[in-house]
Amino acid sequence: MSETHPPPGKPGISRRQFLTGTGLGAAATTLLQTSEARTQASKVQAPKTVGFGPNAVACELVVNGARISVQIEPRVTLLDCLRHYMDITGPKRVCDRGTCGACTVLLDGRPIYACTMLALEAQGKKIETPESLYQDGQLHRVPAAFAQYDAQQCGFCTPGFVMAMKGCFDRNPNATPDEVEQCLAGNICRCGTYQQMRDALRSLCKKGG
Amino acid sequence: MAEIKWPEKRRLIGTKVPRLDGPDKATGRARYSQDINRPGMLHALILRSPYAHCRIKSLDLSQAQKAPGVRAIVTVGQVNYTAGRKEGKPGWEFPVSVTDVGRELFYHGDEILAIAADTEEHARDALRLVKIEYEQLPFIVKEETALQKRLGPSTVPGKDASNVLAGGSRTEGDPDGAKKAAEVLVKGTYGVPVITHCCLETHGLVAEWESPKSLTIWCTTQAVPGTAGQLQGFLAGHGITCSVRCITHHMGGGYGSKFGPDIQGQLAAVLALVAKAPVKLFLDRDEEHLAAGNRPSATATVTIGGSRNGTISVFEAASYGTPGVGRAAGVNIGILPYVYEVRNVRISTDIVRLNHGAARAMRAPAHPQNCFITECAVDDFANAAGLDPMEVRLKNLPQNDPAAVTKIPTSFPALRNTIYTDEIRIAAELSQWKKKWHPPGKGPTKGPWKHGIGMALHTWGGAGRADNDVFVTISSDGSVLVQCSTQDLGTGERTVLAIVVAEALGLDPKDLTVVIGESQIGRSTGSGGSTTAPGTAPAALVAAINARDELFRKVAPKLGLKPDDLVLEPNKITDKASGKTFTWRQFCARLGVDTVRGQGNWIPGLSNLGVGGVQVAEVWVDTETGVVRLDKIVAVQDCGMVINKLACESQVAGGVIMGINLAMFEEMIVDEQTGRMVNPDFEFYKLGGMLDMPEIIVHMHDMPERGVIGIGEPPTISTAAAIGNAICNALGVRVPRTPFSPDRVLAALHARK
Ligand code: FES
Ligand code: FES
Repeated sequence: MSETHPPPGKPGISRRQFLTGTGLGAAATTLLQTSEARTQASKVQAPKTVGFGPNAVACELVVNGARISVQIEPRVTLLDCLRHYMDITGPKRVCDRGTCGACTVLLDGRPIYACTMLALEAQGKKIETPESLYQDGQLHRVPAAFAQYDAQQCGFCTPGFVMAMKGCFDRNPNATPDEVEQCLAGNICRCGTYQQMRDALRSLCKKGG
Repeated sequence: MAEIKWPEKRRLIGTKVPRLDGPDKATGRARYSQDINRPGMLHALILRSPYAHCRIKSLDLSQAQKAPGVRAIVTVGQVNYTAGRKEGKPGWEFPVSVTDVGRELFYHGDEILAIAADTEEHARDALRLVKIEYEQLPFIVKEETALQKRLGPSTVPGKDASNVLAGGSRTEGDPDGAKKAAEVLVKGTYGVPVITHCCLETHGLVAEWESPKSLTIWCTTQAVPGTAGQLQGFLAGHGITCSVRCITHHMGGGYGSKFGPDIQGQLAAVLALVAKAPVKLFLDRDEEHLAAGNRPSATATVTIGGSRNGTISVFEAASYGTPGVGRAAGVNIGILPYVYEVRNVRISTDIVRLNHGAARAMRAPAHPQNCFITECAVDDFANAAGLDPMEVRLKNLPQNDPAAVTKIPTSFPALRNTIYTDEIRIAAELSQWKKKWHPPGKGPTKGPWKHGIGMALHTWGGAGRADNDVFVTISSDGSVLVQCSTQDLGTGERTVLAIVVAEALGLDPKDLTVVIGESQIGRSTGSGGSTTAPGTAPAALVAAINARDELFRKVAPKLGLKPDDLVLEPNKITDKASGKTFTWRQFCARLGVDTVRGQGNWIPGLSNLGVGGVQVAEVWVDTETGVVRLDKIVAVQDCGMVINKLACESQVAGGVIMGINLAMFEEMIVDEQTGRMVNPDFEFYKLGGMLDMPEIIVHMHDMPERGVIGIGEPPTISTAAAIGNAICNALGVRVPRTPFSPDRVLAALHARK
């Protein structure tokens, strides 16, 4: 992406200033555009960008059906916003670089790595975290299968796998075991519970998800 | 009191019981230490050495101190500085010019200081404002380089003249004579690199002082009371007398790397004290790779020889390995040639210290390395003799020890030959060894793909330990509370306690409340050496029986019955004299406002030590690209009396997968020019995912008569060796080092040409 500057007189900071301030280079390129601005940008050639920060700004997220507002610096990732500012700790921070899947949440139904998205970008979207799968004493069938087949040891990777698997079945209730395994390929388990996850996912496939 | 034994008829023990905390963990409701958020909590981060070896020339904290949100800065020099005790001052009240300037840092990632700020973002900003001048010093990060510079000078901590320490040697019999007499003699070099633990929950803690005399830590540790005690000792060293409570309800992996508060625990405790606020300090992924432990490498040049009929008469291994800046390496000269009996042996090892993070215990310390060294050589010997390596293994196993057979018939020495022979037979059946094994390189092919199958054996201890307390409390509503300070690393320990107590009290494990991971509950030992289940399960049985007896003693008189007439059955208590029965709840209700509490400690006779284990790997290797595809792994494992078959099978499969990672993917890579680890992440430090996993067939060889034995470590030991042997069987050429990446496979194929 090319260097973007806010229009003169408008609030905000340049990407370079921003990078100096945070070091979150990879995330920074998307920061200067809100999600709306980005949709716009894909239509028009020269994107109009809005600058935020570096100080805390208001951020409202819809998590598991609840609206939650916090003040965060724009550089805060969705994952850190959930964990540090909203005390929603089901998504785990393991690599913080989009390589392990422990932070997986569903964003408008699609599994994403919460560590690779800024919280501000997730505004206005429907965010589902693992906690949503155990509400009012009702355990969703995906985590229930994990528990039944012992598809977890330390369990630190598990919420991420559960969300990835749920996302898979949500999109395709008739997914085959091979297809579900493909959906889990972006997650890592150090304890090595893949065999038990296979047992769990096969049981769910048989039931048609 | 009558002698306590495991029940003859077991309703729950040995069955498949889903872990009690499964739903909580799977839905993110389980709170790990890293998930603890406290009111007013600060976030802390550590600044680390960018160089493999350097000295702090100057250290200026003034800008960092002024940075937004910063509440406290504490240096490693300060927490190590106890000389000030005489003046009645803790180390952190001394200026860094006294405590830190001139301090040497010995590896990329060595700790310098920690900063606590109101947000993690602010802490990160402040780290960048610390001004340090370094004097760079010579370093060595490659074992071969250190061996060449054997005479020194040393680049690692300590007073030794050189980076290379003699790791000892051992000679038995007449190896030279045996080599001359051998009909078959082969020599090979085999090795495994340094790998890191990769706990998904990185090391760290939340520290909160309730008062100047009382500190609580939520720490991810595999030694709950031990960690509290160590931190208490550290603070006492600075003149601070206080109690430390450690809470670890859930933990995201340890594998041997989490036995204490470590430097980050000390830093967090002091930051929280200085800032007067709770502090959260967890390592980032790169720090975890750099500084939170690793498994030592091992390389051995082995000469193995014997007769044409497959009897091994001589085993020589000249070896070395690196523990980084640590001091204990991976070759254990005492346990080579591993599970085999060989009369003439010569083993030597060098400990090569390098400028990278220190080794720590890792899942079966020394065993995966020693197994790899031995089992690859045994296969090469069998291949040279033209024999089926399974037969060679059977031939060279030690016999059952006749003295042990008469004196302690359930001991491992009394059973070792029987266990291995049985397990090899089972593994051979499950893997169709007889049908699938072929002379090396002569197996089925599919285009460029060649088939191979390989086997390896392992052993481990897994004894129970004293100093484990379990408490069982029964209340008048029939509820049962089980408490132990021990930790659940992911093994299902919480459920182990529930199964044992539920078995003894005739209840359902789900009906119990189990509280673990709180240091103040009582004594428990660290989860090292696969000792947790064998240490705590006997204690749980004793506690449950004591609680039951106490319940009978208290309630029987109220019912006009004699305690000795009462019989406990599932959910039912019967009076033998009158034939009257009570449900558990009815009976407990008679406690009124009373509760009963049974305490149990580990006692001998309910646990044991010493296990075998056999694994077979089946692979396909692409001779054009060097890609190895794992097809199937068979793992046959004993662990005495299986308590939870579901969790046991999961432990074994998980151990196999950790072995697959060692065989196929893992390696810490340190750049020789810069001295920096180049893959401290999960992008270039590879761990296998779902699609990399073969079919894994686990067979638990249950031996209830032996009592409980630990299972965490053994199943990871022999996997890499079995895979290595399978690749050799496919290609007819040995790939000597893990990971068996395509380049290494191709290089081995090329070397033959
Ligand atoms: S923490 Fe987000 S992918 Fe690893
Ligand atoms: S269960 Fe521990 S990392 Fe997956």
